[in-house]
Amino acid sequence: MQEINLLYKSHFGKLVATLLKAFPSVNLETIEDQVQDAFAAALPVWKRDGIPSNPAGWIFTVSRNKVLNTIKEEKRTRFLYEYEDFHAPAAGTREPAFDDQQLQLLFACAHPDLAPKVQVVITLKYVVNLKVEAIAKVLGMTIDGIDKLLVRARQKIRDEKILFREPDLHNAGATLKARLPIVNKIIYLVFNEGYKTSWGKEIIREELCEEALLMCKALFDHKMHNGETAALYALMLFNAARLKARFGPAGELLELEEQDRSLWNRNLIILASDVLIQAAEAPVSTYHFEASIAWLHCTVRDFQSTDWKSISNLYRQLLQMNANPFVELNYAIALYYAGDKQQSFEILNNLRLHTFLSQYYLLNASLGKLHFLAGNYLAAKDFYRLALSQTSCQPEKDFIEKMITRILPLIAN
Amino acid sequence: MEKFLLLIREDLKVRENYSPEESRRTLLAMGAWIESMSESGNFVNADALLNSGSYVGKDYILSDGPFIEAKESISGFILIQAENQEQATSIAQSCPLLMEGIAVVEVRPIWFVDQTKLKG
Repeated sequence: MQEINLLYKSHFGKLVATLLKAFPSVNLETIEDQVQDAFAAALPVWKRDGIPSNPAGWIFTVSRNKVLNTIKEEKRTRFLYEYEDFHAPAAGTREPAFDDQQLQLLFACAHPDLAPKVQVVITLKYVVNLKVEAIAKVLGMTIDGIDKLLVRARQKIRDEKILFREPDLHNAGATLKARLPIVNKIIYLVFNEGYKTSWGKEIIREELCEEALLMCKALFDHKMHNGETAALYALMLFNAARLKARFGPAGELLELEEQDRSLWNRNLIILASDVLIQAAEAPVSTYHFEASIAWLHCTVRDFQSTDWKSISNLYRQLLQMNANPFVELNYAIALYYAGDKQQSFEILNNLRLHTFLSQYYLLNASLGKLHFLAGNYLAAKDFYRLALSQTSCQPEKDFIEKMITRILPLIAN
Repeated sequence: MEKFLLLIREDLKVRENYSPEESRRTLLAMGAWIESMSESGNFVNADALLNSGSYVGKDYILSDGPFIEAKESISGFILIQAENQEQATSIAQSCPLLMEGIAVVEVRPIWFVDQTKLKG
């Protein structure tokens, strides 16, 4: 039932957190199970009797009763009765898009002891309220892998009482300020998952982009943001503006030069530009560089007019701040288009010497593309063939095969 | 952020006997892991090691391949930056070879100079 799904989506994490606070001795996993059972119980009842006037309250009451029953079944419960709070308030009815409690949960998930990937998984579970199957799908992991990760995270949550003692939003101060960079990073990573083309044009991935934008906006609405948040917001808006153009009518992957720019969302680009200008006053971060590069792409009418010199400069500065081979790849590509072909190939050939990168399909596909542009058709074909063997993602394979088909006749001549 | 060295330890005899397919598969998996660490800003450097090498002591040199701890010899390293030891450990737990049970990961903090204690 639609209403139940929407309610799950907006309330799951909050219900779990509220019950955990009320029943600190109960296992987190048990509480999650009972809440999920309550949602399952709602379906036949609401179908038969109609949706109650306070649906969230209904789910809360049923979950709470289930938890109470679990407690009663355990031997030590008689002792606990005096200490459990049976009067925890219902989770409430209609709430704004992103309320205090969800923001608290977001900061709670941004625990510095957890790996960024784990932070993302628990954010997807308790803030975005995705089910494990959806999280696994989106991150390209197995359900078992996610479950194992959650088990370990639950232990940490249990030990550290992360969800119990969520940093209080309004008496915030040091804890929250310290966690903001982590929160920004989580939002960035969630958006990237949604933006990746690895699995083709799947709706759930675009929804992740929306969730990331919502979380970011919530930071602004509650005045919890900093300069980095603003730059990040601009970056995500620039990318969100271009979501629709990445795939062709048959769902095929399109390169930047092939994309139909009339499909870009002008309003989002204008908004993003405004946000970026405001962010310019803050200390520069990696998000500033990425957003500026996106701005340079988004504000020109066609691929040919792109200011590649400025873009390569920005990549160079980004590398100084955050050296990594994947940014170097983008830097090399920008250098080629900026006219510095020799340095471009030097960097790319150096990257190939790295054991891990020699297997990276995007490096080889990029070499294929640049050799193609340079007229080295034989080399281009070889690199594309190599790249083809290094990816199992269908849209990418189709794209590379399309390129190889273009090149073959050129070699024959 | 502090720096940590992640040492990947596995059975080099098993690794020696990998088919080209298995070798490629593990390399690809590690590559994907490195990519995600780059994306999250934790990656600093990494390299894989060949199975050969020598083991040098005061009075001896051993040059016949995996040495003392054959089952858990170092096959590669990743230098990362992380908030603290706990986070570095959490990051190590997502190593694909570890998750398959092929390898264990040793997580060591880099000895850093405490700048607050530096004079001048």
